[in-house]
Amino acid sequence: MADGDISDNEPTTRTLLRRVLDTEAPRTPRRRQSTRAGVQRTPLGTPFSMRLRSQTKTTAGRQPHRARSIGRLAHIQTRGQLKEQTPRTLLENILLTAPESSMVMPESAVKPVPAPQVVQVVQFSRRESSPGSLELQLPELNAPTTLAPGRLTSGRRKKRLRLSEFQQGMDQELPLSQGPVTEPPGNTGASSLSSSLNLTFATPLLPQSVQRPGLARRPPTRRAVDVGIFLQDLQDTSVATAFPGDRTPVATLPTDTVLEDTQPFSQPLIGRSPSVHHSLPYPSLSAERTVSRRTRSSGPGLQNNSPGKPAQLLAGKAEEVDALAMRFPNTSSGTSGVDGLEPLLGGVGEEVEERMEESMSLSEVKEATGAQASARAEEPEAHTEVAEAEGSWGAIEEKELEGSSGDKDTEGRTARPELASSTPEFPRARQLEFLEPAPPTSTAVLRQDPYKMGLSHYAKLFSFYAKMPMEKKALEMVEKCLDKYFQRLCDDLDVFAAHAGRKTVRLEDLELLMRRQGLVTDRVSLHVLVEQHLPLEYRQLLIPCAFSGNTVFPAQ
Amino acid sequence: MENDGKRSCLQPPHEVFWFLLQRLKAAVHYTVGCLCEEVASDKEVQLSRQTIAAISEVTFRQCESFAKDLEMFARHAKRSTINTEDVKLLARRSNSLLKYITEKSEEFNVERKTKKKKKLEDENKDSLEPAEAGGVGSEN
Repeated sequence: MADGDISDNEPTTRTLLRRVLDTEAPRTPRRRQSTRAGVQRTPLGTPFSMRLRSQTKTTAGRQPHRARSIGRLAHIQTRGQLKEQTPRTLLENILLTAPESSMVMPESAVKPVPAPQVVQVVQFSRRESSPGSLELQLPELNAPTTLAPGRLTSGRRKKRLRLSEFQQGMDQELPLSQGPVTEPPGNTGASSLSSSLNLTFATPLLPQSVQRPGLARRPPTRRAVDVGIFLQDLQDTSVATAFPGDRTPVATLPTDTVLEDTQPFSQPLIGRSPSVHHSLPYPSLSAERTVSRRTRSSGPGLQNNSPGKPAQLLAGKAEEVDALAMRFPNTSSGTSGVDGLEPLLGGVGEEVEERMEESMSLSEVKEATGAQASARAEEPEAHTEVAEAEGSWGAIEEKELEGSSGDKDTEGRTARPELASSTPEFPRARQLEFLEPAPPTSTAVLRQDPYKMGLSHYAKLFSFYAKMPMEKKALEMVEKCLDKYFQRLCDDLDVFAAHAGRKTVRLEDLELLMRRQGLVTDRVSLHVLVEQHLPLEYRQLLIPCAFSGNTVFPAQ
Repeated sequence: MENDGKRSCLQPPHEVFWFLLQRLKAAVHYTVGCLCEEVASDKEVQLSRQTIAAISEVTFRQCESFAKDLEMFARHAKRSTINTEDVKLLARRSNSLLKYITEKSEEFNVERKTKKKKKLEDENKDSLEPAEAGGVGSEN
């Protein structure tokens, strides 16, 4: 037998159990019962023996059980299958079917079981060792011996059956999971699966072309470049986000809150805080805090990932964009394929309120800081306008994008320190200049730079949805058009607010703008659009909803 | 004709409205035609009838759009009357037009102020008339 060999080799559980069984066999309670004449005791004894076994199982080591079970193997073989499902019998089944394999030695040749079972075990062990991916070569948990022969053959022929049978075996052998023989089901499953089916638990990766047919047509070189650019943008944004914190202590307020993604209502837009800083390097704490508070609506989705933002915004806005009168395909065709679109969308939806409030506070801040130079004044105005006061949904998207990207872009700009230093110096005398629509000429250069990165993302999406290769010049033109378009939207919002005698842009201004765009009609109201295009989180912020505690949010 | 008959039976106001609309369109078309003829003679270019018809149609629709926008603006400012501010807001797109309108409105305001002053002074005193008359004359 293999005992001799086993004794020479490293002691596996099986060998140890066998030894124990051989030595302790006469002590089994079963045998005690059999020796006794009392038939009555057998029914009592079996539960008692079972209890004993369970107790000993928990208290004593597992090996004695194994030994006993191994000792029982001979009995089973002689007596045939035991009818009652005792732990002993289950262990026996395991040992019968499980291969002889040690932790260290991947291939163990010795099988204690008789010939047919040995064959099975050998085959099982072979299968286990074949993948070689598992560090632990543990005996597989198989169905009871009744199924073993059948399963073996079925395993060879049809791998699917093997899987189902394995699952059955798993269900039966779960109570035995204590012993060292039983691995966590996952591993054994993995081992059996990997050995027999060559399956992995990793989800199969769908080809991108399935989800995005447009991408499939693009030449692969383009994709690589885009990814690289995106990563670069990510780095830039991360650098940019880190930057504002260094400038002023107040800046840390919004940045900290932005990092908390889990709170949907507490996210000031990081992109916005720097944009606020554009106009107010040393803003009044109250104003900035209000801004940060109000930027919350930009939401968890609005992080500083400007590359993600435009995609998100555009994607989220897929339907909205369609509804929008925007001619740019990126906005109109924004698919929801991009992750994180919806939070951005929510941010977009939130913008209605946020922007109103933000633009309100920002415009106030603007006026408070005064227009230093007309150019400078216009720049922060443009920034704030672009970043915050957007009339249309698309504009809002762009704004956030621009805000975020603008932040990182402006970080590197020298104009920023100039602004920072000059804004507090000038008096309020030039408040009126803000109220009037900002002439685009003077600040054209300054305005472009900070938001160029943001617009470039939109341009990339535009080129994606165009489903054709695009020239760089064409993309640049698209960016210019987008820039002008969003500038115009922001100016409109500003003018509308001024027309109503207000200094802050509010929801009504946005609604008026959308009405002029033709998005909001007598039939379609703003609420309808919000409900159609925004996810629930953002809709809740815009449309009054009854909450628990007899509260209505947002307050009417 | 049958449709008109039905319309007249069921919805008289719409029928009347439709006729009025046609008359209005015709008036606009006539005015546009006159203006186009002036421009044509000025630039020594000829304009076809279809062109004039197209221009008049566009003008008419634009007027409709203006009216709706003006009403929206007035409502936005929580007013029930359309104001010069609303008109200025409407014309803000084109800078030259906005300038022109602003100048005109300023002139108009000044005239109104002077007229009001005149009325007040006429009611109260007669001594200020020459000064105002001089002011009005200089403005004019």
